[in-house]
Amino acid sequence: MNKSIKELHDSLKKGEVTSEDLIKEALEKSHDINAKYNAFVTIIDDAKPTSLTDNLLSGIPFGIKDNYSTKDILTTGSSNALKDYVPFFNATAVQKLLDAGAVPVNKTVLDEFGMGGTGTTGHTGIVKNPWDPKRMTAGSSAGSACAVALGVYPYALGSDTGDSIRKPAAYCGIVGYKPTYGMISRYGLFPFASSLDHCGVLTRNVLDAAIVVDTMKGIDKNDMTSWDSKDINLYKSINGEVKGKKLCYIKELCDLNNYENPTEELKSHLNNFMDKLEIFKKLGIEIDCVSIPKNLLDALPSVYVAISCAEATSNLSNLTGIIFGPRGNGKNVTEMMMDHRTKGFSPLIKRRLVIGSYILQKEQQERYFKNAQRVRRLLVDAWKKLYEKYDAVILPVGSGPAKHLDGSKDILTKDTAPLEEHLQIGNFGGFPSITIPDGFVNNLPVGLNITGNCYDDANILNIAYALENAMEYKNQIAKEVR
Amino acid sequence: MNNKFTKELVDDLASKLLIGLSFEENKMVLDEFAIIDENLSKVENIPNIETIEPMTHTLDDFIFTLREDEATSSIDIKDALRNSDATEGREIEVPIVVGGDN
Repeated sequence: MNKSIKELHDSLKKGEVTSEDLIKEALEKSHDINAKYNAFVTIIDDAKPTSLTDNLLSGIPFGIKDNYSTKDILTTGSSNALKDYVPFFNATAVQKLLDAGAVPVNKTVLDEFGMGGTGTTGHTGIVKNPWDPKRMTAGSSAGSACAVALGVYPYALGSDTGDSIRKPAAYCGIVGYKPTYGMISRYGLFPFASSLDHCGVLTRNVLDAAIVVDTMKGIDKNDMTSWDSKDINLYKSINGEVKGKKLCYIKELCDLNNYENPTEELKSHLNNFMDKLEIFKKLGIEIDCVSIPKNLLDALPSVYVAISCAEATSNLSNLTGIIFGPRGNGKNVTEMMMDHRTKGFSPLIKRRLVIGSYILQKEQQERYFKNAQRVRRLLVDAWKKLYEKYDAVILPVGSGPAKHLDGSKDILTKDTAPLEEHLQIGNFGGFPSITIPDGFVNNLPVGLNITGNCYDDANILNIAYALENAMEYKNQIAKEVR
Repeated sequence: MNNKFTKELVDDLASKLLIGLSFEENKMVLDEFAIIDENLSKVENIPNIETIEPMTHTLDDFIFTLREDEATSSIDIKDALRNSDATEGREIEVPIVVGGDN
């Protein structure tokens, strides 16, 4: 299971292994690592092998984030509010993979309903970083990132509302890709903030990400925001030719002089990023430094919280414990729902719902919600202006390697830096965005991100493929370093 | 900090959302909102911010079309009921609502 999808497919084709062998190995690894890293809500011990076909995913195991609906398989959103929920249908993206002969072997832990960035708020406990269990995986696609990094299988599904695929990928030393908004149907994905939610995948190399999304994508009558992408074949469009491509990075985020008292990890992370840019220039890529107004970047984290909380408040209103979820106690329906929601939601979710509710009040909408939406437009327009000249924006992910679990507080604090949150712009604009590993800081993996214009996924993946091949971190498996 | 956002208002909003908050949870809401309020206050200083059209949809070139009004199969009643903790026959069971203690 340490191999790429194409290598596994070729091994199946040659008869060197069977689908049954791969499933057995994936299940054994799932049980082995779960005790230590807590990556899974459910391990599907009765997973059945499938026949080998021309589809590269046939017969190969994969993981599913536990906010994708899976027919007859527990789907909790990592929340006590849905701890026993068993859907009677598959999410469209899951169904497409099943139709291709892919074999799900587990459901992975997330931050409750995808509303966190630490991997610490799922109802089954904290997901630990496979390189250093004292550090976080980031989230919300925490279990998926952990399992792919440990070689349980070549890929796992993720979802991304702010950076929930792309930051865990960086912290775990793997690839995380969310395509253009609507390329993959969201039908059957538990909604968090509908205008920001994206489906996507975590893999160990760029080609695998292209292969999986080629199968997941497509217009869906059940998701009116999905669009027809039948003329796009990501895998076949990747050729590694990048001479003449143009990238830019943001001065306000990447210049160490912008940071008062930078940590050693931040210094190493940014220096590593700048060193890698020099390598990429040798491929014939032009890379410029550009500027974005700092007041817009500073507003970014709060804009994200305002919009996502407001949308979440609406989306989670159907969680009552009446139709599904554990029934609350009370002498009437109102008391029963209150008991269900009070016991079922973690403090983080409650906080976000209350803030979202306040922001949506008629008297507050202009100051908070609409101004947040206005800044969203200004940021998206600024990025689209860059895309008139550049193929993509390239930036470091976060302020260094994975953060320590004992210092984690998934709460917006005054020192939250735009550097930690800039990936949210990819959600604001629906831009295709991919994280790849770009080195090590303090023996822990760090990543960079490439984000391009809407519908330009093939170009973005091709650039990522070329950069990945110019470095030495492709297909790496996590090794505990401390 | 917007002085209208008080502990009492937080409890009132939580109550309307059918959520109970502990004292600590209430304080966390107030602390986090203070930062949001401070940051979004700076947004108001952006020249002509009020003239910017709020961005509500992700893809601004997306064409939304209404589907044909066609009948489709509905879900099986057993499927609809299987995740509820209290059912009776073909229905979900709840305490009396009309004329009840609500």
